[in-house]
Amino acid sequence: MENKINWETEMDRALAQARAENKLVLLDFFNPG
Amino acid sequence: MDAVTYPDAEVIGFIGENLIPLRVQFDAQPLSSDFNVKWTPTLVTLDSYGTEHHRTVGFLSPEELIPSLLLGIAKTYFEADRFDEALQNFEKLLAEHPKSDSAPEAIYLQGVCRYKSTHDAKPLKQAYEKLSAEYPSSEWTRRAYPYRLL
Repeated sequence: MENKINWETEMDRALAQARAENKLVLLDFFNPG
Repeated sequence: MDAVTYPDAEVIGFIGENLIPLRVQFDAQPLSSDFNVKWTPTLVTLDSYGTEHHRTVGFLSPEELIPSLLLGIAKTYFEADRFDEALQNFEKLLAEHPKSDSAPEAIYLQGVCRYKSTHDAKPLKQAYEKLSAEYPSSEWTRRAYPYRLL
């Protein structure tokens, strides 16, 4: 199992991956501080 | 989120199994404007075409994030009229996280989902009865109040 979340950083890639894997997308707007 | 919730092993496993995680800075354009982001963290559940179905603002502990994500998944299926998949996720949320803040909304929408898939009004009344018994002070109990008469 992964030991961290492997965040995607590009919307288009995330949506394409979601369609390919039949999953939904969790979009996190964050403040890097 | 980075200090407590995202390093949690259950959170990592849940997200890896169920979602494509996408992270962008709060001020990244055009997404920040497209999603009208005003505070962080803002977490949004999207379908694979980029349509929003669920949103939270503010910190969530691991114990609250997983049921919130389950609620987002269930709502996405519910809004696509995919009631069987929606119900599976509502039921999983309620079985595994019955004390979570997401549970009352899940009960409410579970009743609506069952009603829409069967056209039998009984699940709406059952949702109100469960909400009033288990979550009497929840806003979802108040929203279900008319269903007591069904």
